[in-house]
Amino acid sequence: MNLEIEKNIYDAYENAKKLNEKLNNIVTLVDPKSQIDELKDDGLLYGMPIALKDNVNTKGIKTTASSKILDNYIPIYDATIVKKLKAAGAITIAKTSMDELAMGGTNLTAFTGPVYNPYDLNRISGGSSGGSAAIVASGVVRLAIGSDTGDSVRKPASFCGVVGVKPTYGRISRYGIIPYASSLDHVGYFTRNVFDASLALEVLAGRDDNDMTSSYKEVESYSKLLNSNIEGKVIGIISNVIEAISNKNTLDLFESLIKKLEEKGAIIKNIKFDDDLMKAILPTYYMIANCEATANHSNLDGIRFGVRESGNTTEEIMINSRTSGFGSLIKKRFVIGGYGLLQENQEKLFRKAQKVRRLIVEAVKKSFDDIDCLIAPASGNIAPLVSGSDIDELDSEYLVAENHMVIGNFTGYPSMTLPLGFEENCPIGVNITCKAFDEVNMFNIGLAIEESTGLKDLVAKVK
Amino acid sequence: MNYDVVIGIEIHCELKTKTKMFSGSECKFGAQSNTCVNEIDLGHPGTLPCVNKEAIKKAIQACAAFNLKIDPLLKFDRKNYYYSDLPKGFQITQQFFPIGKDGYVMIDCDGERKKIRINRIHVEEDTAKQFHLDDETLIDFNRAGTPLIEIVSEPDMKNGKEAAAYVEVLRQTLLYIGVSDVKMEEGSMRCDVNISLNRKGEGFGVKNEIKNLNSIANVQKAIDYEIERQSKILDEGGIIEQATRRFDESSKTTVLMRKKEGSVDYKFFSEPNIFPIRLDDEWIKSIIDNLEELPDEKRERFKNQYDLTDYDIKVLINNKSLACVFEEVMKFTKNSKACANWLITDVLAWLSKNNVSLENSSMKPEHLALMINMIDDKIISTTQAKDVVLKEVMEGRNPEDVASEKGLKQVSDESSILKLINEVLDEQPQSIIDYSNGKDRAVGFLMGQLMKKSKGQANPGVANKLLVEALKSRIIK
Amino acid sequence: MIKDENYYKNLAKSLMFNLSDKEASDMKYEFETLYRQLELLDKIDTTDVKEMIYPFEDETHFLREDVVDHTISQEDALKNAPVVKEGHIVVCKVVK
Repeated sequence: MNLEIEKNIYDAYENAKKLNEKLNNIVTLVDPKSQIDELKDDGLLYGMPIALKDNVNTKGIKTTASSKILDNYIPIYDATIVKKLKAAGAITIAKTSMDELAMGGTNLTAFTGPVYNPYDLNRISGGSSGGSAAIVASGVVRLAIGSDTGDSVRKPASFCGVVGVKPTYGRISRYGIIPYASSLDHVGYFTRNVFDASLALEVLAGRDDNDMTSSYKEVESYSKLLNSNIEGKVIGIISNVIEAISNKNTLDLFESLIKKLEEKGAIIKNIKFDDDLMKAILPTYYMIANCEATANHSNLDGIRFGVRESGNTTEEIMINSRTSGFGSLIKKRFVIGGYGLLQENQEKLFRKAQKVRRLIVEAVKKSFDDIDCLIAPASGNIAPLVSGSDIDELDSEYLVAENHMVIGNFTGYPSMTLPLGFEENCPIGVNITCKAFDEVNMFNIGLAIEESTGLKDLVAKVK
Repeated sequence: MNYDVVIGIEIHCELKTKTKMFSGSECKFGAQSNTCVNEIDLGHPGTLPCVNKEAIKKAIQACAAFNLKIDPLLKFDRKNYYYSDLPKGFQITQQFFPIGKDGYVMIDCDGERKKIRINRIHVEEDTAKQFHLDDETLIDFNRAGTPLIEIVSEPDMKNGKEAAAYVEVLRQTLLYIGVSDVKMEEGSMRCDVNISLNRKGEGFGVKNEIKNLNSIANVQKAIDYEIERQSKILDEGGIIEQATRRFDESSKTTVLMRKKEGSVDYKFFSEPNIFPIRLDDEWIKSIIDNLEELPDEKRERFKNQYDLTDYDIKVLINNKSLACVFEEVMKFTKNSKACANWLITDVLAWLSKNNVSLENSSMKPEHLALMINMIDDKIISTTQAKDVVLKEVMEGRNPEDVASEKGLKQVSDESSILKLINEVLDEQPQSIIDYSNGKDRAVGFLMGQLMKKSKGQANPGVANKLLVEALKSRIIK
Repeated sequence: MIKDENYYKNLAKSLMFNLSDKEASDMKYEFETLYRQLELLDKIDTTDVKEMIYPFEDETHFLREDVVDHTISQEDALKNAPVVKEGHIVVCKVVK
């Protein structure tokens, strides 16, 4: 192997180790030696150091989903994407921190402690893929894998000034990814520019028979098809989000971008969804996600793997292991999820949420009759402080401005966040969503945005 | 007092596939523990199910055999509960949309034909096996994920006999069409009975479930006992409490396992990791068209096509491979009675004695047929066949070769036999006197002498007839 | 209607974990928020609307061929098991 490439890998490894002390974004550092030895001659990501969110199963390498109950879990198999990345020549140097079991939006709930924002260590990186967002934002690696169930890639991307991609549902195989909510889970990833994002998808995408929900659709050469010509493209601003945001800086940055896109020939439209429907996004997500998650994690019981606590009966073993192994937040989510699935409640809770999901999806689908892309700021504000005040989860602004990206999880449509601008030297992002399997369009519009903002390859200087 | 008895039966049947229902690991009974599993069977984090085509095919075959309507859109659901033998903490099953609905079978009970309706057949996966020691339990996950079909009857049965007949029809049919090994003793077929009693004219009584029935005989015994037990309670004015019971083989009684305190909430919901699967109509049709002949159909056909006793038919139908061999042999002979007889008695006996299975035996159907024909043509005697020829045929040898080699070809020619008879009678004058004095035993003695003289080759039937005639004529003299 | 702490503790127990007293008391607050959020859900008229179980509802056709292609070694199967004995995973005596 090329010495320069090898040096690059080890530099990344050392860098990751060093920055982890400030960012606390790594669960397990992975010594690249054996991977370098096994490296084949070629591949789209040949010799590229990468990081994987710690819910991605890596055979022989501890995988914890940032939960205490899996603190000793050594997977006996590789996730499909790990095999693909390996075949493409990528070298994993770290398993990154996440919100426990991917259930959270702050990355403050990891067993290994909070992850800090590379731009401001007093702020959160966002979650649940905070560790991966931070490792890319701090310049350690060009590519880090995450997962996105309710904006868990696209929100931290906004807070960390990087590109965060959630492709179409089923575009990337979920086999080997520790789940959160199966009908909302997507494998996603972070890069520092759109080109890398388009290249990464060529490696990650594709039908996997192990995942019966994975798509047969042809994987296009996204990086080769990249072009920023958006002449005639119809871009729809989600006006509900604009109306909900109170931060003037964010709105100004967004408007400035829109003007530039118009100058590039895009046709801008305002799309207004029913307000009640928009406000229902969070409760719909919360109910579906918690219910599915509760069932999904019924296998975490200390019997066949994971941290087992003692007990006088097998039932006690399971109860003690789960009591000790799950954080408080997870337990609360499970209680809600279990509650929603009870036979007597399912109709008015879980199934009701599934029905509202359909209405939201139909509304979004319909809007795409007239547009190529939806656009809105990824968040109303920059990353909140770690010590931040309690969020009012019923505030309209919060409900709409901070949760609209879940539309991408409900619909399964591809969606990406790109850097939009800064406030107090902290980044804020813009989010676009395109039709199912229309990643080519998404990357192209993304490239146009990247060219308009000039924000590309940003690296945070961690203090 | 007389009560109406209402019995419904749920049968779980392991499908005879090479791999698990939702994973590509091997299905193998009796393998070393935890050697037929993969991460999916163990419910490791991040695993996803992948539906086995052959399991679906076998489920369709079962639906077709029992006249169920097949749903061409395959959907799965989760049944959620926590138990150490359930790796994922939920079982993937078909609660809302079973693959088959509304079928039936016909049973014969006490000379009457009765229809037992089948409510549904659905596909699901099996749990792990647990071995209980004194103070710990060992778990083997080899069985986890094995494909199962669950067959749920309507509560159409009224007594133990009907229940046993129903289970037997199911068992035999599933074996015939190759869907399962249906070995109750090995657990590849499990039977749960739901039974309630009510006074005539009243609505259904309280259900009791009986589990752990590992043979059809026990199904009947358990039900008979349970009817008695519940009747007694009701007679004394008591009430039946809903409970799960198990059958205790030694005491031949049902024993309380646990009382049902309200039903368990399994929180059923649709499996999000498996999209609905549209089964190809042509595929379903070809499975149904190519379904193997069912036992009932074979029984009817044998009745019409061959000249056999009911008993012979019963034995043959009960042993599918034997019935198969029977038909192979019948291609070369017309004597169905003899064919059945030889197979059912001597052939099976030889196989058992020599520890060879019918499938593995060297016997060629055309050889057995030839042997039967040789007996019919009086070329060899039945005795010779039983004593000498059959075992050679079982080793794969042509009976004609055997007969020639061992000089067995019978002499049936009357004049040559008569010559020997006269020789014997001349040599045994005392026997003639004995016979004239009414000692019929003399005939046997003389026959023995005759067979000796003819080196066993005299056709016994013919020889006997001629001997008696000769004796009679000598006495008259 | 917000239930009392015991209800949540029992619900948690049925999900195989215990809530501490504080966690159980916190659940009451969580459910208050939940119910108010659910009011937003209830505002949406879902008469005659079918549940959406999957993001995409096209029917699929794939079924896996019945070929043994992935069995792991006993060692791998038991590698992560906390207690192993004679090739089996061990738990306390299970009372049926």
